[in-house]
Amino acid sequence: MEQVQEKQRTEEFDASEIEYVSYGGEHHLPLIMNLVDQELSEPYSIFTYRYFVYLWPQLSFMAFHKGKCVGTVVCKMGDHRDSKFRGYIAMLVVIKPYRGRGIATELVTRSIQVMMESGCEEVTLEAEVTNEGALALYGRLGFIRAKRLFRYYLNGVDAFRLKLLFPQPEMADRDYTQNHDDHSPREEYSELHRHL
Amino acid sequence: MDRHALHQPSSSSSIPATANTVWTDASPLLEVACKDLRDGELIHVDNFNLYAAMSALEIMDPKMDSGIVNRYCSVDEAIEDGVAPVPISTDKTTDVQCVIDIMDHLLTCEATWHKGHSLAQTVFSCAYLLRPERTSSHALLHSYCKVIRATCKAVITVVSDARTHEEEDLFTMAYGLPLSGDGDEKCLSLLNAVEENISRQLRACKAPSSKRKPLEDIEPLQTNFDLEEGYCKALLCRLRFRKHFFHVLTCMRRPQGRGLELARKHIASCISELGVILKSAEFLMSNAHGTCEDATEDRTTASGHQAIGFDASLNSRISAPTPPRSIKILSWKKAIEYFEKLLHDLDIICSYPLDPSLEVLLRFVAQFQKAQPDLVARAHLQLLLVQDGKLYGKCPMFSLIIRAARLPEVFLHHDIQKNEYVVQLGQLVINMLKILCTNAAWQRRKLGKILQDWRVIYVQIELAFRKDFGEGSSISNGDNASARILKHILIWVEEQTYWISHRFLILGFELELYSPSEYCMVYWYLYVVLIRLAEKTHLKMTVSDGSGKYTSTSCMFCFQGQWPELRSKNVCVV
Repeated sequence: MEQVQEKQRTEEFDASEIEYVSYGGEHHLPLIMNLVDQELSEPYSIFTYRYFVYLWPQLSFMAFHKGKCVGTVVCKMGDHRDSKFRGYIAMLVVIKPYRGRGIATELVTRSIQVMMESGCEEVTLEAEVTNEGALALYGRLGFIRAKRLFRYYLNGVDAFRLKLLFPQPEMADRDYTQNHDDHSPREEYSELHRHL
Repeated sequence: MDRHALHQPSSSSSIPATANTVWTDASPLLEVACKDLRDGELIHVDNFNLYAAMSALEIMDPKMDSGIVNRYCSVDEAIEDGVAPVPISTDKTTDVQCVIDIMDHLLTCEATWHKGHSLAQTVFSCAYLLRPERTSSHALLHSYCKVIRATCKAVITVVSDARTHEEEDLFTMAYGLPLSGDGDEKCLSLLNAVEENISRQLRACKAPSSKRKPLEDIEPLQTNFDLEEGYCKALLCRLRFRKHFFHVLTCMRRPQGRGLELARKHIASCISELGVILKSAEFLMSNAHGTCEDATEDRTTASGHQAIGFDASLNSRISAPTPPRSIKILSWKKAIEYFEKLLHDLDIICSYPLDPSLEVLLRFVAQFQKAQPDLVARAHLQLLLVQDGKLYGKCPMFSLIIRAARLPEVFLHHDIQKNEYVVQLGQLVINMLKILCTNAAWQRRKLGKILQDWRVIYVQIELAFRKDFGEGSSISNGDNASARILKHILIWVEEQTYWISHRFLILGFELELYSPSEYCMVYWYLYVVLIRLAEKTHLKMTVSDGSGKYTSTSCMFCFQGQWPELRSKNVCVV
């Protein structure tokens, strides 16, 4: 689905003033809907939101600043083909004045944390190929660009399918030497662990 | 949900009752139901869940409901309202100017459609096209509409015959649209008649008055004598472009590539006419009726005037049941650029000498794809390569495989071609060729998937080989022919598998899938794949020639083929 993350002029606030809240019920739904409707171009019906927040309330988070909802992430997880248990980030929004301060990263991280604890093997999402902010955010978290989807969005823009693979138990025995030649994506998984 | 949307007053229904349906206003019932529901409750049947509800469209939400954003309930209502007058104007000069605008706008719609938008919202947003019989009194407009419909139909046929089901699903949707107008196949003869007439008008206006005989009294195209030559020329290049373009499509569809040479001549004519069309802009802009509305680069006509008779919402009711897509019609200049590129790409296809060597073919396709050809060109290539299960409609897959495996031609008629795995291998080659003609994103995904199939067929053939011929790996002349064929094929299958892997990896660069931190990993894989590829090619050559003479050249050849791409990324492979 869609992600919005661009660096623009920021509102003055301290990171500690941001309150992160897990989805708590129907009263949160209009807040999420308003944020997403404002910022994203794909049209979602209320049923789309309900599908995600009813079935996986523990995976959706909101960011509040002085009582105002300034960001949200909406996700799901479930069995995928090849019987992989997979998390999916459907929507991510932070309103313009609050961007560039790590709020989106924090929202996403919290959701991924729950996914990991719930036994997910990987997390995926789609992002427009032109959305540099989102691509940078997820890139820092260790997502790779698994596929390119031709003309995925209604406006004709291509999308990347981004994927984060969680290390699996059988990998735990591998010897991670600090050899410079052994540059592999697995190093980035360890980073994610440390961050969490 | 916005409940206020339901408080519409029950207006007298504009939908008349028919034999089987009577309409009634359900708003009061829905209001009562809404009052009874609490936030978050949903009325649904047993097998309808929230996942299914996601595909639901909110009626009367303009972001979702394609049917709501139109002025007219039907095309006929629009026509009654005067959206598409025939003739466009009683003043012949204005009429001609408007027809040229329509022709130009149709070109931009056509290019927009090719680029991936729906036919209904682009080309068939033209009311004149939607009611073919209405234009019959206007020879110029009528013949032009016919050739447009026939062209669209030909292009749709090519794309749906290619059947790769990538992005063309939207492209080929044409239900409810009058694609097959009555007598559209005869469009060229009608067009020729009109062209001939205008040519005479052009000659007549250029002839000095003393030479004009009263018997040759041809009615001029339009009323302003000073502008006659300019308008005749503007029309002629547009008509000729359409004629030659239609010929290109019919020639290229001739089986076994028989029409390619002739197609090239028509392509050259098309490109030449496009040049004349572009040059006509100056004349058309300076003589446009009324003030010039739009002289910017965004304009969809040469004159800058908005074309009459177009309304994208006319077909909203027969559009797909998805949310309305925003369509930005290409500018006139961009449309011409699109067609120039399309014709250039088609010309490359037409000039390909239909080489029976798979290696040459693969290199051609890979090179062709670098120019990022669009769907229409790629579909044409695919249909040329694979016809009736044969290469170019003439070479059976088995002969292609024999040559690719560097086996002598004497084996071309060997019975082993009936072996089930050899037949399957032929299918894999066909499938691979089709995939190589798709867009890069789709292509890479599919290539990744077929690697498995190529590995499986290798194992199957190897097992069959072991079963029939035991473990012996030496081949000498006079030995069992089947054994020799299978042995060669096995080497070639491995070589081809590595080639597919290599293409899979390289496409990742074009698609921007790799971040710089991953380059080392990708180059490492490329290095391994290329070494193996070179080994297999080398082995294939030595086994077939029985000498070591070609070893070093074949290795170098392989690397030289792939090295430029690696070097252009400025990375040194260990």
